[in-house]
Amino acid sequence: MISFDLRLDRPGFSLDVAGEFDGGITAVFGPSGTGKTSLLNCIAGSVRPTSGFVELNGKTLYSSDKKVSLPPAKRRIGTVYQDGALFPHLDVRRNIEFGWKLIDESERRLNPLELAEFLGLSGLLDRKPDALSGGERQRVAIARALATSPALLLLDEPLASLDIARRGSILNYLKRVHAEFDIPMVYVSHSITEVVSIASRAMLLRDGKVAGFDRPSALLLGAAAAGGDIDNLENILDGVIGDSTDQLTNIRIGKVEISTRHQNKNQGENVVVSVGANQIILAAELPTRLSARNILKGRVTEVWSQHGKVFAEVDVGQKFIVELTENALNELGISQGSEVYLVFKSSSVDVFDA
Amino acid sequence: MNSDISIVALSLQIALVATAVTLPIGMFVAWLLVRKQFRGKFVLDVIVSLPLALPPVVVGYALLWVVGTNGWIGQLSESLFGSTLAFTWIAAALAAAIVSLPLVVRSFTAALAGVDPRLESAARGLGAGSVRTFLTITLPLAYRGVIAGVMLGFVRALSEFGATIVVAGNIPGRTQTVPSAIFTRISSGDTDAAWRLALVSVVLGVLALVIHNWLVRRSSNNSDSSNGRAL
Repeated sequence: MISFDLRLDRPGFSLDVAGEFDGGITAVFGPSGTGKTSLLNCIAGSVRPTSGFVELNGKTLYSSDKKVSLPPAKRRIGTVYQDGALFPHLDVRRNIEFGWKLIDESERRLNPLELAEFLGLSGLLDRKPDALSGGERQRVAIARALATSPALLLLDEPLASLDIARRGSILNYLKRVHAEFDIPMVYVSHSITEVVSIASRAMLLRDGKVAGFDRPSALLLGAAAAGGDIDNLENILDGVIGDSTDQLTNIRIGKVEISTRHQNKNQGENVVVSVGANQIILAAELPTRLSARNILKGRVTEVWSQHGKVFAEVDVGQKFIVELTENALNELGISQGSEVYLVFKSSSVDVFDA
Repeated sequence: MNSDISIVALSLQIALVATAVTLPIGMFVAWLLVRKQFRGKFVLDVIVSLPLALPPVVVGYALLWVVGTNGWIGQLSESLFGSTLAFTWIAAALAAAIVSLPLVVRSFTAALAGVDPRLESAARGLGAGSVRTFLTITLPLAYRGVIAGVMLGFVRALSEFGATIVVAGNIPGRTQTVPSAIFTRISSGDTDAAWRLALVSVVLGVLALVIHNWLVRRSSNNSDSSNGRAL
């Protein structure tokens, strides 16, 4: 568990944030220039706050009162940077082993080669970062940070320099890393899509202050008001390829199965699925004689509305977020607990390699 | 011919020692200028660059004052060795070092600035101390620019004349370097001998500059592909 209460004064900018993050994945999000990265740097120790404290699992990492400020190396915190910040003169293996070699043997809980295998890097160990794709670079960065057996993993916009296909894949790896190694993560992003997809809790920052701390979906509209990137909110979900016909492929997502355009993939293959929140139609009754291939029955678990923008979270055995208008909401008479049908076309589903 | 060889040998010795002095000092100063924010940074920059803007004779005269009987280095060496450093090859090496330092610092500054500081903070975050970070990340990424700076400093030290002749004189066999020997030979009308040493100077200079330019081009190609700033 990490707790902090920090102030950082810089010319033309000040940060004043307090929070307590549990062992899950916590997102810190908000528009650019709002202090997300500064907060991360204060926690990691690369930037010294003006005053306050940072504690990790009860250990003081920084305290202006007690005059404590551990150097980054002593904090047991791993960081994954926006474009990986891999060492360009070292191959993948030596990048991953860099921090691992510097910690005490007794503290080495994760083996670099096993991490490389877990992150699908076994075939790339002799390559230099120049010869890697963006997604591969980020996986190396994750492995490099994990190899130091950190007590906390910080991720600073780790998907910002990747295309959408790679984003889903890295998100998937991060979820698996969290499930496998049980390392708490702080995930900094300006994209609500990523935050909703990966985090269990989210802290919304605005002008260097905490504007909200809640479940990510509950902060959606706050994010909209703060100028967050929610225009293209995507539901990013893990799936497994099911059976296929000539035109369609079924994909199992948790307890539900959806239809997508035909995928050239084998049954049982893991994939990442993305459905835009504005691509989903809400129906109050079971629609009949419809061309859309996906009709899923569920219950509205939450509705947020502000300034004419409405989001509904619907549980169909798997939670989807749907964007609709104020008019539609009123006309359908939908509220929390309503039984509804989600409708979307098989062509509205993007499928990526996991 | 024999004296030619010993003159070239002494010149190389002086330039090598001068380079050995400027390498660590230049690296430290360049690192301060590129990576640290502190009061007096501007002043440090001016002081280090000053020899570039002064007539070398003035540098030599100032150095003579420092290493002579009145200067603190002079008094220190007098109490230790019984004589000052003035008119020794060590004084010549010091003069060459001071005159080449601005060039070395400039090259090193460009080389270090080409290394993404986030790579250094990544290394720090992974547990490396500042010395290890410098040796395993910064230096390997900047090494071409660093060697180029060393080459540049070396040729400048090799061709040093004005400051050297003031502080070390022109004593055959003791402080006479290639440039001062050429000066003597021209003065005494021994043109063939002057040309011989001039030719040696040209060969050494061309060689060092070719290596320098090759390294600079290689390092700017290198930093382009890694998104660093070109040298």
